[in-house]
This record gives sequence, C-alpha cells and structure tokens, in this order.
Amino acid sequence: MELSRRRFAQAAGTAALAGRRLAGQQTPLTAQQVIDRVQKNVGVPWNPDSLDRIKAGDATAAVTGIAITAMATMDVLSRAAKEKANLVITLEPSFFGVTDAPLADDPVYAAKLEFIRQNGMVIWRFGYHWRARKPDPFATGLARTLSWTKYQIDDDVSRYDLPGVTIGALVDDLARRLNARAGIRVVGDPQTRVRRVTLLPGSTPLAAMLKALPDCDVAIAGETREWESVEYAQDTVTSGQKKGLIMVGRVLSEEPGMNLCAEWLKTLVPEVPVRAVPAGDPYWRPTV
Amino acid sequence: MTANEVVERIKKNLGMPWNEKSYRDTFKVGDPNTEVKGIATTFMATLDLIQRAQAAGLNFVITHEPTFWSDRDTVSELAADPIYKFKTDYCARNNMAIWRYHDHIHSRPPDLIWVGLARALGWQDRQTAGSRNRFTFPQTTLGALAADIQRRMNIRALRVVGDPHAKVSSAAVGMGFGMPRVTPDADVVIGGENPEAGGQFDDTEYILDAAYFGRNKGQIILGHAISEEPGMEDCANWLRTFVSEVPIRFIRSGEPFWSPKA
Repeated sequence: MELSRRRFAQAAGTAALAGRRLAGQQTPLTAQQVIDRVQKNVGVPWNPDSLDRIKAGDATAAVTGIAITAMATMDVLSRAAKEKANLVITLEPSFFGVTDAPLADDPVYAAKLEFIRQNGMVIWRFGYHWRARKPDPFATGLARTLSWTKYQIDDDVSRYDLPGVTIGALVDDLARRLNARAGIRVVGDPQTRVRRVTLLPGSTPLAAMLKALPDCDVAIAGETREWESVEYAQDTVTSGQKKGLIMVGRVLSEEPGMNLCAEWLKTLVPEVPVRAVPAGDPYWRPTV
Repeated sequence: MTANEVVERIKKNLGMPWNEKSYRDTFKVGDPNTEVKGIATTFMATLDLIQRAQAAGLNFVITHEPTFWSDRDTVSELAADPIYKFKTDYCARNNMAIWRYHDHIHSRPPDLIWVGLARALGWQDRQTAGSRNRFTFPQTTLGALAADIQRRMNIRALRVVGDPHAKVSSAAVGMGFGMPRVTPDADVVIGGENPEAGGQFDDTEYILDAAYFGRNKGQIILGHAISEEPGMEDCANWLRTFVSEVPIRFIRSGEPFWSPKA
C-alpha cells in the first residue's frame, strides 16, 4: 500500500511534469527556436561568422509556417505570405548583394522590407551550412528532381550513368523537369550521345570543371564563367571528344537542393507546415 | 615580320605608356620571334578559332580573352590535361603564336571594345551627354528593346529579366564581365556576363523585385562574347593603319552557347 502510494505520487509527479512540458509546447514556436534546432541538427559545425543569419524580421516572432527557397524574391515572399508561412529560409541573399546590406533611399528595398514587416515575416539565410552538409544535398536533390537517383555511380551523389541519350534530348528533359524558361545554355552538339553525367549545381569554379569534364560525357552546372569552363568545354568538343556542358542557371540548379532542405526540415519541425517555394527561372527571351 | 615586331609597333602606336605590369597583355603561345604570315584578331583564342585562323593562313592570333581558360592563363596545373596537350600541340605543329590584347585596348581612348559594342547595338548616337555608359532612346517596351537587340546582335542565348511590357527609354550599358548597377536614372541595365546571385550587387534579384512592385526596370544579359567581340573588328581596322606587311583579319570566335527554345 505504502509502495503503491509512493508509486502513485511518482506517477502523478511525472504526469504533472509532462503537463508542464505540454503547456510549454503550446507556447508559440519562435524563429530562433527553429534556427537553434537547425543549427543543432544540420551535422556541420556552426560557423558564427558565416552569412547564415537573420536578414529581416524578429527572431522572437511566432512561426506560423516555414517557406524554403533558393532566392527570397518578392514573388516568393508573396506566395509564402498567402500560405501563412512567415519564416522564410533562403539559400541566396534577399537584399540584392552578398552581404544583404541595407540600401539607403531605395524604393524597392524599402518596399520589400515593408512587406516583410507587414506580414510579420522573418528572413533567415541558410546557405553555407546546408551546402557543407554531406553528401552534397544540391547534387542529391537535383538528381532526385531529374529521377536519376537509380543511375548513381557508387556512393558519389554527383555522378550518374544514364541510359544513352543525345544532348538535345537531355536538354529538353532538363528544361521540362526544372520548369526552365530561357536560362539554359549549352556547349556541344545536340546530336552527341552521352551517358555519364556529373552534376555541379551552383556556381562552378574552373578547377572543378577541369576535374569533372575529363571524367564524364556531359557536365550539368548552374553557372560557370565564359572565359573559364565555357572555353574549356568548347575546346574539349573541338578536340573531337563527344562531350558537352549544360548550364541551367544558378537558382534553377539549386532549387532541388532546397526542396530537399524542406523535406529534412519537416522531420525536424513537426509543429508548423514546412513547404518549398521555388523562385523559378528568372530569365526569358523574346520570340523572334 | 615577327610577332614581337607587331607587338612593339602596337606599343609605339598606342599613344600612351605601356603598362609593363599587365599580366594579361603578354604572349600566351609560341615564340615572340615567330615569323608572321598573317594576323587574326578575335574575342577568344578557342581551339576552333585557332584552327580557322590557321586554315586562313593567319598564324598570329591577337585575342581579347584568355587562351587557357583563366584570366592569368595559368598553365602550371594543366600539364596532364588532355585538352591542354591537344591545344598546345596543335599550335606548336602549326607554328602559331598567340598574344592577348585586353588591358590596353580598354585603357586607350577610345576603348575600341566599347566602340564596337555601341555600334553593334546601333546606339552610336544615343549616348547621354557627359556619360560614357548611359544611353537614351524613344520610349519602347522591354520586350521590344530586347527583341531588337537580339536581332541586331544575332544572339542565340540572350537572357532578359523584368516585365516585357515595362515602358523603358534609358539604359546603362556594361561589357564583358560587367553589369552596371541599377540606378534610378536607368530603366534597363545591359551587360555581358555577371554572377546570377551572391555578387556585390545582384541586379537580377533587384529587377525581379522592382518588376513585382510595378517599376519599369529591366536587365538584358548579352553574353560576354556577344558584348566584346565586335570591338575586335575595330582592333583589326586600327592595326591596319600601321601594319601593312601582312594580311590582318577579324575572325569571330562566336557565341559559345545554344539554348533550347524558351
């Protein structure tokens, strides 16, 4: 009897504790709590000096929903606001430059900031650390969007052996699956048949291209420089090698990696809706 | 006449001191004492361009941009690269010499690359007084302006940002790896090549957002080659005023890309 009473008391105490914890969970989830959870779970040591910081809004704001994107354009923010997502997590800058520095007397900057304020939004950049995660979520995500995961070579998420396809057909497929407009640019003969692909999403320095192109038939990049990788790819083709370089645009190449980020965050933040809000291909071209 | 004699004559006719610190304007391929049969001026000494110059009997290539895929034409890491070997072997076998002419063509007034770009745009008479890179034109739409430029410059992979219906009448123009920063007094920024995001100033995101707020702003990205190639024709014309011993031709290295139907 004595024992069971003690047990009862213990059980009641546990229930009370649990009740307090439950009550705690009902207090709103703040942007800072989401950020803390990401920092703890991303699997990359957090660098406090990186540019992954809040760019606008209040860290203590209650989060009603999370939108994840490669670039927090006004179009993305307005779509997020419609879906009641007020924490926007972005890979690229939001205020028109690498440091997201304020622009004095600029009407576009002022209007964007005002939209963010009116909608109680918080903009958090999360690029450096998501990029540093292993295996590379950008190559993984791009391959998944292209339905190529089954073609992966060994444990390298950037390399794939496709069933033979012409560069022309491959480009059409990429354009369709990535919802491209005018952002895709190609070096190489559309009739060339290719199998081995290397994915280089983002901005690719020459050193990475010098390493990748000799070992594959076609490299799919975000953006590269015309006097570097583009000329190297041209010369590779001229030398008689049946190869090519496809640039899909930086944002378009990175968006699948941020879709993957949204999937990951759903498991980490079950309290609020998490969705990917793609920025899309920024470019168009006149039809002449 | 040797390749080096051509270069010395360029230095003499420049009308301004030669910057000996320029790492760009130097020989990249071949012996400076190579005997010149003919000169090809071009935007970029791609392997394809070198082969076409050789076929035309021109063994001295004067190129605006690099030969070996980096601004400094750094070749120390390229010894094992099969394309590097192919390109250097081809040049050696065919007695080619390649010299880069970049910094001084830009710094000598008038910058011939700039002259070529303004001509290719058809905008020689539209320059805003007192400003080198500002142009004004009768009001049109961003879509019509872009279509006109696309036709004039014969561009396959043109890229445009902004509302095609935006009414525009002024532009700030850059060339090469240069995109003017958006300012209140230019409706459109036009340039060769720029990082899409994460630069010092990201015109692309700014224009997207300006368009969202209904502002008449646009960005037209020509391509690096498209923006700077025309000026190398002016370079050939200039060379002919003081080099008469050998044939001189402007040969297009051309737009490197194709683009699927948008």
